[in-house]
Amino acid sequence: MILAFAVAPVVLVTLLIGLRGVAAMRTTSDFLVASRRVSPLLNSAAVSGEYLSAASFLGVAGLIVKDGIGALWYPVGFTAGYIAMLVLVAAPMRRSGALTVPDFAEARLASPALRRMTAVVILVIGGLYLVPQFRTAGLVLSAVSETPYWVGVVVAGTGVAITLALGGMRAATYVQAFQFVLKLVLFIVPAVWLLVQVGPSVRHDAVHPAEFTEFERDTRVVFRVGTTLDFTEPTTVHVGQETRVVDGTWDVPQGAKVVFPRGATVPEVAGEARPGGTEWERPLLDISDAGHPLLSTWALVVALALGTMGLPHVIMRFHTSPDGRAARRTAAITVGLLSVFYLFPGIYGVLGHVLVPQLYLSGATDTAVVALPAQVDAGWQGGLFTALLTGGAFAAFLATSLGLVLVVSGAISHDLLPGGLSRLRVTVLIVSAAVVLLALSAIRLDAGVLVTWGFTVAASTFCPLLVLGIWWPRLTVAGAMSGVLVGLFASSGAIAGTLFGLPVHGWLAILVAQPAPWSVPLAFLTMVVVSLRGRPPSWARTAMLRLHLNEDRPVTEADRFRELRDGRG
Amino acid sequence: MSPQTRLAHSRRRARGRWRVPKLDPAGAARAAELYRRQRALAIAPLALLFAGILGLPLVFALFPGLDQVRLLGVPVSWLTLAVLPYPALTLLARWQLRRAERAEDTP
Repeated sequence: MILAFAVAPVVLVTLLIGLRGVAAMRTTSDFLVASRRVSPLLNSAAVSGEYLSAASFLGVAGLIVKDGIGALWYPVGFTAGYIAMLVLVAAPMRRSGALTVPDFAEARLASPALRRMTAVVILVIGGLYLVPQFRTAGLVLSAVSETPYWVGVVVAGTGVAITLALGGMRAATYVQAFQFVLKLVLFIVPAVWLLVQVGPSVRHDAVHPAEFTEFERDTRVVFRVGTTLDFTEPTTVHVGQETRVVDGTWDVPQGAKVVFPRGATVPEVAGEARPGGTEWERPLLDISDAGHPLLSTWALVVALALGTMGLPHVIMRFHTSPDGRAARRTAAITVGLLSVFYLFPGIYGVLGHVLVPQLYLSGATDTAVVALPAQVDAGWQGGLFTALLTGGAFAAFLATSLGLVLVVSGAISHDLLPGGLSRLRVTVLIVSAAVVLLALSAIRLDAGVLVTWGFTVAASTFCPLLVLGIWWPRLTVAGAMSGVLVGLFASSGAIAGTLFGLPVHGWLAILVAQPAPWSVPLAFLTMVVVSLRGRPPSWARTAMLRLHLNEDRPVTEADRFRELRDGRG
Repeated sequence: MSPQTRLAHSRRRARGRWRVPKLDPAGAARAAELYRRQRALAIAPLALLFAGILGLPLVFALFPGLDQVRLLGVPVSWLTLAVLPYPALTLLARWQLRRAERAEDTP
């Protein structure tokens, strides 16, 4: 039902706009030609459309339900990244003519080896960013239509693969700009409706959070993955049809549908704090409950603010600007557009904490946004808003995934393998299949956390490469390569350590779970030290200066002479 | 074929065409001047940005009392985090955009 009413329209309208866009303006069918006409406002809507992924639409609110108000630092970091982009990267990157970081590496440093290495980094970032998109699409579809998790993931993967294999998103700029407006409306309207509809007592509870210790009504929780719960008192629960008394530790089997009775004490999930305690309402984020919220919050915002400039699907978008100046404007307007959107995740988060706190038991807090309307209104209105939010979430998932799968496939077939035209299409299918397989086993990992790791890898590799490549003439190939390598191994090694449960505690646990505070400086330092030991080629300074020369500079005598000589004057 | 896909394809053709970058003397002088100007202009916004995103958590950590003060029923610290950064970042973007463009406009 939901699939038909919410997801299908989004996909259809997306395709329709693409087709109409092409029919309306023949010349824009060529992305490259269109680039000269796209205004900064339209382009920044497209950037925002591509950028607002499932992590923004669902993940932030989910993390608020689970971890607390401090999760609002995620959208702050997501937005702050565009300031760094505006100041350091946007205009010079556009002037380099490069579409991707591998292209930039080649244009600035002329090194095929560095090109291949940066393509590998794109695979890592793309993987970390794509898996949560597919996972959340699967989770949301299974939550609103009661299908198994894998069905949703496979539907999502098939949707992406078919759309790209049929020819991708036509008139991509218009589609992405439309997607942004769609997401904005589908996010703001239900938020306002929810706030009005919930009534004064829920609104009061929302700003006076209480710890989630007791079920206020009979509560049904679907466990899509097996979970270990710790009960402090014997509790009578209904599992499917049977009734049983559980106490102490209970391993909930996968797929169990459990009804907790009203008034029962809420069990604890092994290794996690209950939502709503005193830490929950603090505006700081305590990663892995390590007890150092300030350090955690710093680590997070640094990773997000510096990682944005290295996201492959975002960099590609800036090429649609006609020149460096327009690219810079695009980055600046994007800050404003994202600012409007990010005023609203907090509303879903605090309402979700009051109305659906039980989602944390099954690790499904990412579905809080779409679970809310049904809690407020059981009738057709609730159903309508659930459908609207599901449609918005799917739009978010689709916009980000299509761009990313294409960038990742491009990196494989153009930068890593000697590719052909047909191979790109095959690569798209292989990449989609691989992401589906990864997403099937990643159901436990929150979208916001995985996406943040993508930002962390980007901040530790592409951020130093772009910043030094654009602003430091002495950067050498050896320096760039060793810096990217060190940043890649440091950040992904720390992330792997967290995934495999490295036994670390306290502030060390934070620096492993969120390595940006040390991995980014380390990568910068490596690049600078190794570069200083070598010698840049004679043209290095020119290659760098070229990135800062505005295209519409005043015509000089030399230019005029050349124009006369070439017969163009 | 969609424009995005075509773009992805076109990258292959662009490969191997790398040439030594050249600038005429006037262009090089102008580029060097712009590079110095933009580099000088970049310091203030970055300093402000990081002062903001690192300073605000510090304020929250040092003054936990902000959680108890309420404005329209909502804790002030929540409002400061959920609302305040966005107009501030938007103004910062606008300010820096103006400065960067003015630097390019002046000869």
